[in-house]
Amino acid sequence: MRNYNIYKIRHYSAVMIVTILFIILAFIFLVPFISIALSSFKPGRDIIRQGLNLTLEEGQFTLDNWKMLFSGETMYFTWFFNSIGLTFVQVAVSLSICMFVAYGFAMYEFRYKSFFFFLVLLIMMIPFEIIMLPLYKQVISMRMINTWAGIILPFIINASTIFFFKQYFEGLPKSLLDAGRIDGVTEYGIFFRLIVPLSVPAVSAMCISNGMRVWNNFLWPLMVLRDPDKFILPIGLNTLITPYGNNYDLLIAGSCFSIIPILILYIVFQKNFISGMTSGSVKG
Amino acid sequence: MKRGRLFLVGLLMIVAMGFAYAGGADETTAADGTTSFELWTYVEAHSNFYKEMENIWNEENPDRKISLNITVLPNADMHNKLQMSLQSGYGAPDICDVHVNSFPNFMKGVPQFEDMTEAIAPYAADCVPSRLELYSKDGINYGVPFHVGACVMFYNTEILEEADIDYTTIDTWDEFIEAGLIVKEKTGKYMTTAEGTRVNMLSAFLGEQGGDFVDENGVPNIVTEEMYNALEMEKRMIDLGISRVSPGGKPDSEECYGWINSGEVASLAFPLWFMSRFVDYMPDVAGKIAIAPMPRFEEGQDRSAGVGGTATVVINTAHDKDLAKEFVAWAKLSVEGGTKIWEILGFDPVNTKVWDDPAVTNDPDNKYLQYFVTNPFDTLREIRDEVNIIRSVEATPTISNYFNNQILLDVFENDADIMTTLENAQEEIMNQLS
Amino acid sequence: MSSRFKSFLYSQDKAPYVFICPFVLLFVIFFVYPIISTVIMSFEEILPGQVEFLGLKNYEKLFSDRSFWIAIRNSVVYMVLTLILLIPIPMVLACILDSKLVIGKGFFRGVFFVPVLTSVVVAGTIFRLMFGELPGSLMNRVLAFFGHEPIKWLFSYGTGYTALLLLAVWRWTGMNIVYFFAGLNNIPTELYEAADIDGAKGLQKFRFITLPLLKPSRTYVITISVFAGLRMFTESYMLWSGNNSPHEIGLTIIGYLYRQGIEQNEMGYASAVGLVLLVLAMILNLSQLKVSGFFKKGDSIE
Repeated sequence: MRNYNIYKIRHYSAVMIVTILFIILAFIFLVPFISIALSSFKPGRDIIRQGLNLTLEEGQFTLDNWKMLFSGETMYFTWFFNSIGLTFVQVAVSLSICMFVAYGFAMYEFRYKSFFFFLVLLIMMIPFEIIMLPLYKQVISMRMINTWAGIILPFIINASTIFFFKQYFEGLPKSLLDAGRIDGVTEYGIFFRLIVPLSVPAVSAMCISNGMRVWNNFLWPLMVLRDPDKFILPIGLNTLITPYGNNYDLLIAGSCFSIIPILILYIVFQKNFISGMTSGSVKG
Repeated sequence: MKRGRLFLVGLLMIVAMGFAYAGGADETTAADGTTSFELWTYVEAHSNFYKEMENIWNEENPDRKISLNITVLPNADMHNKLQMSLQSGYGAPDICDVHVNSFPNFMKGVPQFEDMTEAIAPYAADCVPSRLELYSKDGINYGVPFHVGACVMFYNTEILEEADIDYTTIDTWDEFIEAGLIVKEKTGKYMTTAEGTRVNMLSAFLGEQGGDFVDENGVPNIVTEEMYNALEMEKRMIDLGISRVSPGGKPDSEECYGWINSGEVASLAFPLWFMSRFVDYMPDVAGKIAIAPMPRFEEGQDRSAGVGGTATVVINTAHDKDLAKEFVAWAKLSVEGGTKIWEILGFDPVNTKVWDDPAVTNDPDNKYLQYFVTNPFDTLREIRDEVNIIRSVEATPTISNYFNNQILLDVFENDADIMTTLENAQEEIMNQLS
Repeated sequence: MSSRFKSFLYSQDKAPYVFICPFVLLFVIFFVYPIISTVIMSFEEILPGQVEFLGLKNYEKLFSDRSFWIAIRNSVVYMVLTLILLIPIPMVLACILDSKLVIGKGFFRGVFFVPVLTSVVVAGTIFRLMFGELPGSLMNRVLAFFGHEPIKWLFSYGTGYTALLLLAVWRWTGMNIVYFFAGLNNIPTELYEAADIDGAKGLQKFRFITLPLLKPSRTYVITISVFAGLRMFTESYMLWSGNNSPHEIGLTIIGYLYRQGIEQNEMGYASAVGLVLLVLAMILNLSQLKVSGFFKKGDSIE
């Protein structure tokens, strides 16, 4: 009994120490957020001169940045909704096609299957940046520059998404297909009518990991987009970082605001986020 | 079972939506005969200037109205996009601002810009010739400049008065350094600042001595006496504690605006276009800044160079090229245009007639004239024949990169030996360009 | 509906090709074609209106190009350092968060994970301003607290890289924790129970059960980190607000490709840079997979 108590006390003190360490660590991780949140209440000029820090001096406090953000005089919300729209469209298109392709790999045996699947893996091995110059020329020659199609099309095929769906479909009972065939459903009918409705959990997991990737995409949209009213948020915010013009007011408040929806989404869908992100990783 | 079909329909709709989100229709000539041009620039203020010029043009030419569709993009971004659209022959604007440092990149191979020589001709006699020459290849002008970019000295008179220094008597850099030591002793403040990540200031010092980054054939030549003198002088001032590398690495940065604004530095050698930065970003030193010619290295040498700049070009895929060319040349080189360049942008216009028009140079309502203690045009007229050219050739972007990212900071902050650094860099630049 | 079309719809032999057809199409247009043109361009000099075949000249030039070697060095150093930091730290944090040693797990998980969701543009801007050179910036205030003069963080190699690595750690710790979580979930609890019966202590369990059984997760994280490290660009682009940095501290391989190909209009030379990166990435990835036994016969894919 006494031994058990000692063990308990030791355990609790260990928990205390570790928790305190974690609180300190968490604070360090939060510093960037705190500093930008505080700075969003400072005049842009002070941010330029002082950089970000954790103080808010008296007389510095102002709501002007936030007023400006919501005044509708800036492009911010155009970019914001473009980002949401693009994320939505790109995830929808990419997931649908990846599912379609993955189904072919999962459910059928055919000649050169392993060769074709090797090609899928090859995409994962070659960074897009290496082919971005010819890809860019390609998109221009297809007259898709400055359009969403130009951003989306080259990235519809996502190797890890195909991989994930393939594994998911392989886990479904094959008897389902046979039952469908006996009922006289076409091969494509089986996919659209039987398999797709069964894939909701897999789709929602992939939505999160793909959505995150698209939402934060930078380099490719930077090259493709041209009109400020078509910019997505990261590209738009990047244009504010120039020494010519007092843009820091909007930049800081805008950056701060861009974190809020993600934060809310995370708090609401916490569990799905984590499982969605890990399901993107190849098992083993 | 309906879910599958719904899914399919929804998918198709989304795809269609995505593809429909393409560029708007390309109307070039409206029903009333107005010609519209796509114009890209990388400075917000330039777009204000162009809008103003568009209005004036339309009043004066009611039968040949134009309409400018202006897009402002960040500097590097705009040039990259222009580059790529020219490579592929699609998607370029009709008129475009091109920064002097990027301009040579567009001169590689067959220039994709229109020959502006004829359009410039009516104004050429009144303009500073070296600035027109800057944007040319093989004797053909491809771009029209905004300003002279004459380098001058901006003095903070308050600090100098505290140290009992009369800046008008400073004629050589040696005298300047002596004055700097007094300023340091009496006020504890820096006399001046050195540019560590751009070559504007270095160009000014080279230009004063008639030097350049390249030889007469456009071949990089950075191991020169002039180059050594310029770097050695800047380094000497840093070692003496009367100068430091600008906050933010360069004067034209937010950090440095703040530093100058708080009255920490007594002078700055920089092109006249910096006036607009003073007015816009450094309100606290208003009424304290005087403009004067730069000190010189030796008796009899010149005191300025034209530095920085923006060429406005007409792309060869533009429609109604002649109208575009005529408008661009008029907007930037005519007396009317020059006056607006001064009033809206605070640049020293290329058309020298503007410099001599008292209605412009003594306009009591002008915010630039109100800001500075002295009249910039007095200085400009004084150094009129001393503004030397720093050429911008195919090798220039590569050379600038070496100075911006390596050489300047190595010399100023890491105590690298000037001559060895220059010799090594020369070798690497030649290899780069081979 | 014609019977031929109908029989096509029911054909099990043709269906797989229809299913993978979109993949093949997109793969050829947006992958094979660009790769081939990259290879061709790397032997050429491409100027508007003129294309000239150079042979191996672009590659010869690469080997004596100091900036290129700086870029390689920077990318490799960044990759190695992120491996050193971003494998053990998240692994330990994940193990603690998975144990009973800490209260408020959900909160801490969230704190570590939210930076992952923050855009690089926003994160880079925040870090650039926190590491500002003026005395008012956060990091310089921290230095001042310890009685140190303000320093120009982003102007020299050591401090600049510190900022870059802190940015990487801040943004990726949460992600890697999640990967290790997935690995920890796959470890059967019976193993720990058996160890308890044998009287194993916490650290022993960690060393003899957790560590070896996390190997698949580790392999995965290493593979993606090698890749992400070598192709890093946006982080440095945002931290130095552009592709130019003092002493080229922030120049990476992709940054150099971007500079040559897009900023300086040397598409051919840039393609050669890209292909060198490709070879480097392939060698590292294949050898890493080999070391981790990926190719061993009889290994299940699990």
